[in-house]
Amino acid sequence: MTIQRAKLLLAQNGIFIALAILFAGFALANPNFASLSNVSNILGQSVELALVALPLALLVISGSIDFSVGSIASLAAVSAALCMQATGSFWLGLTAGLLVGAAAGLVNGVLVAYLGFNSFVVTLGFLSIWGGLALLLSGGRGISGRDLPGEFAALASARIGPFPLTLLILVVAVALAWWVLDHTAFGKQVFATGGNRRAAILMGVPVQRVQCLLFVATGFGAALAGILLSAKVQSASPTVGTGLELDALTVVLLGGVAIAGGIGRISGVIGGVLFLRVLRNGLAFLQAPPFLQTVLIGATLVIAVALDSTVQKVVRSSWSRMRTPKSPSPTASTGSGTTSGATS
Amino acid sequence: MSFGPTRALTDIDAVVHPGEIVGLLGHNGAGKSTLLNLVSGIAHATDGSLRFGGEEIGRALTPAAALAAGITVIHQDPALIPGLTVLDNLVLGLPRSGSRRELRARAEAAVTRVGLDAPLDLAVAALAIGERQMLELARGLMSSHTRLLLLDEPTAALGHAETQALHELVQELAAEGAAVVYVSHRLPDVVEICTRVMVLRGGGLVLDRPLEGLTAEAIAHALAPDDDELEFETPEPGAEVLDAGAFSVRGGEVVGLYGMAAGEQFTLLDSITAGGRLGPTIRLDGADLRLDGPADAIAHGVYAVPADRERDGLVAGMAAQDNVLIPWLPRFGTRGWWTTASTGGDSYAAARREFAVHGPPGSSPLSAFSGGNRQKHLLARWLSVESPSVLLLQQPTQGVDISAKRDITRVVRQMAACGCAVVVASAEGDEIAQLCDRALVLHDGQSIPVARSPRFGAELLSTLLALADRHTPGSGRPTPAPHTESEAIRP
Repeated sequence: MTIQRAKLLLAQNGIFIALAILFAGFALANPNFASLSNVSNILGQSVELALVALPLALLVISGSIDFSVGSIASLAAVSAALCMQATGSFWLGLTAGLLVGAAAGLVNGVLVAYLGFNSFVVTLGFLSIWGGLALLLSGGRGISGRDLPGEFAALASARIGPFPLTLLILVVAVALAWWVLDHTAFGKQVFATGGNRRAAILMGVPVQRVQCLLFVATGFGAALAGILLSAKVQSASPTVGTGLELDALTVVLLGGVAIAGGIGRISGVIGGVLFLRVLRNGLAFLQAPPFLQTVLIGATLVIAVALDSTVQKVVRSSWSRMRTPKSPSPTASTGSGTTSGATS
Repeated sequence: MSFGPTRALTDIDAVVHPGEIVGLLGHNGAGKSTLLNLVSGIAHATDGSLRFGGEEIGRALTPAAALAAGITVIHQDPALIPGLTVLDNLVLGLPRSGSRRELRARAEAAVTRVGLDAPLDLAVAALAIGERQMLELARGLMSSHTRLLLLDEPTAALGHAETQALHELVQELAAEGAAVVYVSHRLPDVVEICTRVMVLRGGGLVLDRPLEGLTAEAIAHALAPDDDELEFETPEPGAEVLDAGAFSVRGGEVVGLYGMAAGEQFTLLDSITAGGRLGPTIRLDGADLRLDGPADAIAHGVYAVPADRERDGLVAGMAAQDNVLIPWLPRFGTRGWWTTASTGGDSYAAARREFAVHGPPGSSPLSAFSGGNRQKHLLARWLSVESPSVLLLQQPTQGVDISAKRDITRVVRQMAACGCAVVVASAEGDEIAQLCDRALVLHDGQSIPVARSPRFGAELLSTLLALADRHTPGSGRPTPAPHTESEAIRP
């Protein structure tokens, strides 16, 4: 029993073992890699990716996919910057950018959840539409941070107490995703929607609302990521989010979320985000050619998928070995009386 | 032999001869499927030997090699590709021999032989479960010659007439010299066509004798030594709770709707909770209303258990406990804003006790449970947490073993005793007879009421259905399946 539990734990957290090995490898190759400043650097670089990957993970678990997150990030960044320029207000611009992201997500959500179009096709289309719109709005040029309110430039380096603002945003985003997925009735509805949509409908789960909300959340997360990325480079570029959708989907899948829906864990997604950032950062540290990064990231995804099917087998057999004949589940022992639930 | 993590079979010493029809009986988890998987090359034994026609084949048997050797398996869940046509499914996997026209002729012959009334170019998705099972059988007949035919619960989704047709076909094949192994939960089927009976219990062979001289009691005793008939008292029904036009139910009453496999009794129940513009107006607790989809039905206390549990009922990859509790989580403590493994844990534990569920802990995915225990989970969702005022059950004991049937029957009767109005739609007379106080035989718009009497049973019901069928000219083909992609399910 305990051996099975340990095996299960190991199989479900494979990404963290891979992460530890990768980290140790880079640290051995260059001791400076494990320095505090570099580790906090890696965490800082993880924020934007996590903001996109976390809501996207929930969306994939619910059985949909969103390829348009990178373009939404770009469009939101450009919209926010233009609004700041026009009004001179940082807060108005920030709100506008986030609203644009949420609205773009809503468009995806309505088309997929309520009108029944395939999310793969719809969001692939909007990858071009939102991306093209960002280029149109900005005239193809980035808007320099010098032309924007001072708060925008300060966003990336702002601190609350001893903590960088971006890190606090990361912590809040992780806590939010963990709470929603693991500790609300809504989270269970997300799993049910992705696991068996027909059954979910028949048990009264509002699957359309669930999916639409997740598209809006994904759009919002992408918008926030786009604005933060722009603040970091001090320029709102219409291509700031380009390629973000691939990184985000990669880490979601690396983290053990099933592409078919119904399976996934927040901890896995965090592991996936850190793995990708450590890999990127470590290769840069070793001065590996940048194109090699792309090759290696693709390779890790393929290996991860191959390993995943083995892991799923281990998980399945571990569960079925945990059969406890005759006695109800461990949680059952907490039940008090013997009266049946049906009569109450 | 051990299979996967658990030892599934030990010391099975069984021989099947040509021309013989062997009934293989056993409860869920007794090892029937494992035995079939061994013989069909899906699983391999850890020790022991397997000889076919005098040759040892056990070690490296693959499904393709088994097929080539003349071993045909008809699985309980038809392994068909829904997007392809009947013809494509039949010729798929056959060696490319002969022209398209020849293959078509062979397919036509196979389909006719099993009595499946469906055009070859129809997509399989449009077939009902029972029809799919017949198609699976037709596919088995496509391979050159069947020397060994393995049938796994072939009649689970079939109606009376279809079962008869299947039995005739099996007997024909046996007469041609094929050895047949017929796995079933349904004792009457086995008694009807088998020449020998084998009973598996706990992975061991506990009975292997010719049918002659074997009583039903002896078989039942071998299956479950401590089995006893479940008796219930018919309570005094209360006030009318639901009037759906075609039938009405009073509180405390269990009404059976009996009909063909995939017949109108299922369509009727589906339509009540489906919602949409086509939904019927019903009278619920004295008020005329139209239920606006499953969520609205649940809010009105009308809970529906679908016939196809894997497709419409359960989320296999999700924790067992969540499968039971999902619709109810917002009703516990924090209204769904903070749930943990212990939220509703007491209700789940009570449900497991009530249904006598066996298996891994509730935090494990439902797929880790056996079929009967999965069905218990589906029923527990609707029976054990919140009390319904109306229960609409479709084949609630389909494909589960005798002891699980007994547990389910007990809980359903309990619900009725507490004043719930229960409707059971089924194509199995046994199920209706075991659960219900009275029944309606539904066929082609006819509705024949049957009261509970000493003669109330599967035989009476199927006779009435046959009569109803004779009264309708040109009938025979069942109405479309209730669970094909319907307007109802798409929100």
